Amino acid sequence: MREKFSTKFWLLIVAILTAMVLAACSGGDDEGGGDETTEGNGEGITAWAWDPNFNIAALELALEHYDNEDFEMEIIENAQDDIVQRLNTGLSSGTMNGMPNIVLIEDQRAQSFLQSYPDAFYPIGDYFNTEDFAEYKIAPTSFDGEQYGLPFDTGVTGFFYRTDYLEEAGYTHDDLVDITWNEYVEIAKDVKEKTGQAMLSLDPNDLGILRVMMQTTGTWYTTEDGTIQLEGNEPLQMALENYKELMDNDVVKLNSDWSQYLEAFNSGDVASVPAGNWIAPSVEAEESQAGLWRVAPTPRLDMEGAVNASNQGGSSFYVLNIDGKEEAAEFLGETFGSNVEFYQDLVQEVGALGTYIPASEGDAYQFENEFFNNQQVVYDFSQWMEEIPQVDYGMNTYGIEDILSAEIQQYLDGKSLEDVLSDAQTQAENQFK
Amino acid sequence: MKKWIRFIQANNLFMKIFLVMGISIIAVSISITYSSIRMSSNLFMDTFSITNSKIMNQITERFNSFTDSIVSASLEVDTNGTIKQLLQEEQENAIDQSIFYYHMTMEMDRIYAEVDPNDTNMIIMSNNQDIFNMNYIKWPVDAEKLANHEMIDRVEASSNDIVYQFEDSEVTNGVPMIIASKALKLRSDYIYGYLFFSLTERDLKKFYESYTGVGNNVMLVTPSGQIISSNQEEMIGELSPKLLDYAKSFEDENSEYRKVDIFDQNYIFLSEYIPSLDIYLVNLIDHEIIADNVINTSEIVLISIAIVSSAVLVAFLILRKMTVSISQLVHQISDMARYQFNKPLKETGGYETRKIAKAFNYMLNELHDYVQILMDTQEKQRKAELETLQHQINPHFIYNTLASIKFMIRQEKKEKAADTIDSFISLIQNSLSNIEETITVEQELENLKNYVQINQARYGDRIQVNYLVAPDCLHLFLPKLVIQPFIENAFFHAFTKKKTGFIQILIAQKEHSLICEIIDNGDGMIPERLDNKTIKTKEKRQLFSGIGVKNVHERIQLLYGKDYGVQIESEPAKGTKVKIKLPIRET
Repeated sequence: MREKFSTKFWLLIVAILTAMVLAACSGGDDEGGGDETTEGNGEGITAWAWDPNFNIAALELALEHYDNEDFEMEIIENAQDDIVQRLNTGLSSGTMNGMPNIVLIEDQRAQSFLQSYPDAFYPIGDYFNTEDFAEYKIAPTSFDGEQYGLPFDTGVTGFFYRTDYLEEAGYTHDDLVDITWNEYVEIAKDVKEKTGQAMLSLDPNDLGILRVMMQTTGTWYTTEDGTIQLEGNEPLQMALENYKELMDNDVVKLNSDWSQYLEAFNSGDVASVPAGNWIAPSVEAEESQAGLWRVAPTPRLDMEGAVNASNQGGSSFYVLNIDGKEEAAEFLGETFGSNVEFYQDLVQEVGALGTYIPASEGDAYQFENEFFNNQQVVYDFSQWMEEIPQVDYGMNTYGIEDILSAEIQQYLDGKSLEDVLSDAQTQAENQFK
Repeated sequence: MKKWIRFIQANNLFMKIFLVMGISIIAVSISITYSSIRMSSNLFMDTFSITNSKIMNQITERFNSFTDSIVSASLEVDTNGTIKQLLQEEQENAIDQSIFYYHMTMEMDRIYAEVDPNDTNMIIMSNNQDIFNMNYIKWPVDAEKLANHEMIDRVEASSNDIVYQFEDSEVTNGVPMIIASKALKLRSDYIYGYLFFSLTERDLKKFYESYTGVGNNVMLVTPSGQIISSNQEEMIGELSPKLLDYAKSFEDENSEYRKVDIFDQNYIFLSEYIPSLDIYLVNLIDHEIIADNVINTSEIVLISIAIVSSAVLVAFLILRKMTVSISQLVHQISDMARYQFNKPLKETGGYETRKIAKAFNYMLNELHDYVQILMDTQEKQRKAELETLQHQINPHFIYNTLASIKFMIRQEKKEKAADTIDSFISLIQNSLSNIEETITVEQELENLKNYVQINQARYGDRIQVNYLVAPDCLHLFLPKLVIQPFIENAFFHAFTKKKTGFIQILIAQKEHSLICEIIDNGDGMIPERLDNKTIKTKEKRQLFSGIGVKNVHERIQLLYGKDYGVQIESEPAKGTKVKIKLPIRET
């Protein structure tokens, strides 16, 4: 009995010692394992956008409205050209390394990405109701029946102008409502003459103003079936004539980048900014000019069927098909996709006009903006928005424009308009066949 | 205190072995733990420093490729005819300007691809303060501020082609960045524009950030001692001449690394001079943090403590078990004498002790057996001796008796002769023929009477013998010739002075013993002759048989043990009383 007991006792001791040693070892393993898992979740969501006054501000506001404590998002500001270039580089190389989870893409550019790299984007149609958004935003943001983009701002354009300069030149608000671009050029000349200020600031590498003019008539560089129509495109011809007229009369202050563009009106060097409504926050950024600005409807081309409403640079959010896509899509769906309250704040705090229909019924749309002489800017924009002629942007808008901008320099230099357009047509056809 | 000393003495063996063992286990593990921690941390630091110096080379390579890209981009700008022409032209109207802007941007876009992968921004400023900024996010340039900045003067004054400098002033909106500037000059030294490359500190950090970590810091130090970039953001912009001194002196040394004391802490210091940027790349490694991260000292110590304590515990238990049983063994052996070597050892404890105890017990048993055999032999020998003595009838007795009978016949005392012969015959018959050692009291009485009859026939009736025997004693057994020697003694020695007297023989049971008393009223013995309850006799030979007074006591004790024997009381002139105590035996 005693013998048996002592054997058991020794076995027990051996067992305890083994357990101790094993416990010590496995303890170490646990720590190691713990570290790995935290590393895996450490990567937050990143978002790329441009325009800190507008898009970035909207994203930050959305982040505030998103009540998910685990969600962390880094918002990175990049120039739009930079985003486009990086996306092209990244998506064409196939390595999604360093790509963001959420990226803002301009509607006019969206199709070129969606059609070229359909697998790179994550369909987010399940995260919100597409019927809640303005119909004209759905076509550019979807492809092949799948909804890829979450529609954001409208891009409805307006004619922002300095009341003091225009008054000095002898114009009242009524004189500026529903004008044509021809009239705009004339006004520009008067302003230049009376005040010495340029009428607007333009970047020779960005033909946005031409698109604004062209869309008032509902035409585009391409037809709905994608045929390039530069040669014999009357609205384009007229737009180019107006453009040259502005240049010829020296009413343009040229810029070479976005910051110089903002600088032009913030410093008071130009009398007007014909642009998308998204420029409003940047205009308002210069608080010393409060009360000196108003917005009139966009001038139209002097043609039959042209309306005083156009669109420029409305954009939408896209989710890339990489790790974290679900979280990113959920974030977008919960904020930009369905939060009415957020849109009210967006209108008031950022001045951004979304395309989410349920939000347009709110009081914020009636808001009288002191900066713009108590004009109901948002309401006006929402009215003009309904008049924008529908256009299919196709996928080659910016490609064609690169060709066109080179030709335009020759046009400015004296080449005939017919030659410019037919040369551009030939080049474009060769390039996008 | 005494208890303690006794305890220590009792556990002496255990204490000695355990102390030696315990101390050596602890000493060995402490020294191994210490040296392994020290060795691994040294080894780690060595390899870490080697890796880091390789990393430094890699970072240097990246800086060099960065500067190479800047040099080649600036060369392209320098040799680009379009840019040269455009910058020198005067633009009179918006159209000229538009064309100028467009072409500048187109040309620059192409060249920009060269430096863009490094997140470097490229800017050209014309003499009219037209700015061509390839990435306004990185550096939103204010033409007026830039044109009036001392950077321009520095570039103009510098003989170097490209001037690198660190800026975090108003001109960069407070964003810390490295700016490479170059004046675009004609052969005639006419400056037609300025070329800038800017790299924000944030982007610069990417060159080395992946190599850094907690306790492993990288910083860039200008020759003026300013830290222009570091993974530790709070250090950026600080002036540290000491760090610069170390960096400068490190260049002259040829060591892998050195230990320095800076920022109130000890660091391992590595440094590399990057000539193209004219900055020092410094790597400060916090020895403690890095080593702590890699070498889990507390875990090693804990494991050692666990192993040591378990080893000591096991050693304690095993030793305890072994030494306690040995001590017990020793204790038992030293106690042996007390139990007359009769008590065997307990065979407990470990294998060794059990074996020892077994062997000891075996030996003890063997010894016992031998002693027993020896004792048995001795007893046998003694018995044999006694027996022979018992069977020997003194020839003188026979001769004297026969002579007496002859006289009786001569005197014609036929009756007396015949009686004596009868007694003699039965005496001899009983003595010789009865081989059984014990006889009944009755038989013994018969023998005594015969003996007395013979003696009285020979020497007359002057000594009377009386028998007082309890009837319940007659059937009891007693050894042969136990009483006879005392009667003989009384006959021949007790009545030398007194000529007459009597001898009384009393046999009775008393206190579960058979008591035989032989009392005479003769001369008595002087005390010297009484020795330890026996009688010293000069005679070696007894008168009747070989059994003498002397060995009766011996014989009884041999037969029945210490409780029995002969007691003699004697007083001179009064007589002697012999008391024989025997057990009651019915067979």
